[in-house]
Amino acid sequence: MRFRFCGDLDCPDWVLAEISTLAKISSVKLKLICAQVLRDLLGEPMEYEKILKLTSDAKLESGDVKATIAVLGFILSSAAKHNVDSESLSSELQQLGLPKEHASGLCRSYEEKQSSLQDSLRACSLRLSQLGLVRWRVDYTLSSSELQEVNEPLVHLTFNVQNRECGRTTAVSMTVSADKFRVLLAELKQAQTLMNTLL
Amino acid sequence: MLLVLSAEHRAHLGCLPRAGGAGKLDIGVDTIQRGVEGLTYLLTESSKLMISEIDFQDSIHVLGFSDELNKSLLQLYLDNRKEIRSILGELAPRLPSYHNLEWRLDVQLASRSLRQQIKPAVTMKLYLNQNEDQTAQVLQTDPATLLHLIQQLEQALGEMKTNHCRRIVRNMK
Repeated sequence: MRFRFCGDLDCPDWVLAEISTLAKISSVKLKLICAQVLRDLLGEPMEYEKILKLTSDAKLESGDVKATIAVLGFILSSAAKHNVDSESLSSELQQLGLPKEHASGLCRSYEEKQSSLQDSLRACSLRLSQLGLVRWRVDYTLSSSELQEVNEPLVHLTFNVQNRECGRTTAVSMTVSADKFRVLLAELKQAQTLMNTLL
Repeated sequence: MLLVLSAEHRAHLGCLPRAGGAGKLDIGVDTIQRGVEGLTYLLTESSKLMISEIDFQDSIHVLGFSDELNKSLLQLYLDNRKEIRSILGELAPRLPSYHNLEWRLDVQLASRSLRQQIKPAVTMKLYLNQNEDQTAQVLQTDPATLLHLIQQLEQALGEMKTNHCRRIVRNMK
């Protein structure tokens, strides 16, 4: 059976197996656990002790608690990844055997945070490097060892390039003559116009 | 299979019954060290070759220890065999193994030299693990090459279903 929230593929076996674990928790507590999992997916710290307290009534072992967090994380992020709306998600979860109240509670939490989740996923998509700061300075060369009267402007540029995974910033410095700089600026302005036509 | 202990090895192990504990200073640090190394070698070689109880007993018989010492050595071997084997298993050299793959689908619309283009490309970052080192390799391909890559990998997976592979897997189990 193909599910939209799994990207039109079969639901993974482990997800299917954990649905029955989710049904053991009351629907109200499940919604609160969802809120914690969403915090973790959005990059905020998750309060694991709260989740332990919420699952204590259902008498889940520590392995089951971790499995619950994993399956909720998978359902929410996968649904956001494939842009599934909350009603379709609810009906698909019910097809997998999740009781109606649990599914609707989960989907209400999902709906509130769907766009923030998608923004956060967009931000951590593959990206090779990122331009940080650009610093510049314009100098005027008066004279040199080769020519007594040079009288030319010179631009010093420093690009701070951030490496995405290690967060290290490398500084790339260069000097550009006035003519070269005019060409560079014109080309970049053309690229900017092209980018604006797409936005 | 019997473990053959060299004369030097036997001499090292021979000092063990007399050594007793760390308090006995008249034995000398070197002797104790050699004794410990000898014992380590005995245990790792036995675990490596997965020697049976009887063979182990026969192998250490040549050392001429008391029966009680032989029994405790045998017990030591049997208790720690599994753990020693799992540690030895991890010492084998490893090739880089797959850790994670991130990908991105882009379309190139224009470049400095040419405008009005439509050029799709898939950019991938392959994360590999080798002996706790993680490396990342950035790759880029066009859709046709990607389809070819997928086809080749599916063929490789399909090899497992051929009669030849099935026969070998059955015999290994």
